[in-house]
Amino acid sequence: MKCYICAQQGVDTDAVAVCIVCGMGLCMHHAIREEVAIWEGGYPFPSKKVSKPMPRILCPECAEAMKGGN
Amino acid sequence: MGSLLKRSVAEFIGTALLVFFGAGAAVITLMIVNVFIEGQGLQTTAGIGHLGGIASWLGIGLAFGFTIMAVIYAFGRVSGAHINPAVTIALWAIKKFPAKDTGYYVVAQLLGAVFASLLFGAMVGPDAWLIGGLGATAPGFSAGVWGALIAEIVGTFILMAVIMGVAVDKQASPGFAGLAIGLTVAGVITTLGAVSGASLNPARSFGPMVGDLLLGGPNVLGVFWIYVVGPIVGALLAVFLYQWFVTESEDSS
Repeated sequence: MKCYICAQQGVDTDAVAVCIVCGMGLCMHHAIREEVAIWEGGYPFPSKKVSKPMPRILCPECAEAMKGGN
Repeated sequence: MGSLLKRSVAEFIGTALLVFFGAGAAVITLMIVNVFIEGQGLQTTAGIGHLGGIASWLGIGLAFGFTIMAVIYAFGRVSGAHINPAVTIALWAIKKFPAKDTGYYVVAQLLGAVFASLLFGAMVGPDAWLIGGLGATAPGFSAGVWGALIAEIVGTFILMAVIMGVAVDKQASPGFAGLAIGLTVAGVITTLGAVSGASLNPARSFGPMVGDLLLGGPNVLGVFWIYVVGPIVGALLAVFLYQWFVTESEDSS
């Protein structure tokens, strides 16, 4: 698989990851890795944060959209 | 997870809200009945249901149910929103809740209930304890202590069984616990309210009882044991039975 963003720019780069939202292939330069805190529990038990966060790979467009706002 | 202090404060506030609005609804109902009786010049004792029949108990049950629903959705992820020593003790008994936190939770719940009763009394005035008894629970009709004890055991059994089914069980659909549990309590109170007061919760009975003793309301100390033994026995029966059910289904699958 090739990096979709690089391909749009006329560059041929191998993908190293896939955006979890839109599925586009991403090279190391365009892949955005986020750490998402995971909480477990809830009624009738207090919620607690799991010790290790969950990694999430996103493309720049989806990462921007996930932040919300205008 | 928040500190034990934060979680205990959440239990204090949650139980206080339960007693303030739930037991408060019983107080207001009695005061409305009393005004009607006085207006009619009747020589009788005011009782819940005197005017509205079972609808009065439904109204009180919904006041409890809506408050429980609100507290579960507001504080469920903070402390677990037990707001009931019987629930806390039952979860501890099946090793779902740490022993070191259990005592703190129960004390916070009891103190929250007393605080709410005193606050409600201060808000409404002497009629709250002289007529409404601060919503204290006692056996009603011809039930007697043993009938009331059975009502508390059965009522808390179904409450705790629902908690196990909609919240503790990992197979349960998330998000429905507050609604299901609130409506269950409303239903139980509608039927059993006239029998025992349908406390289902030692803290809910403790607050008004202590408030009455402090302010000069009716003394229901002699029947308080019903509202300790009944809910705890009912909750324990429910959790152990539910665990047995789940174990059976896992064996057969």
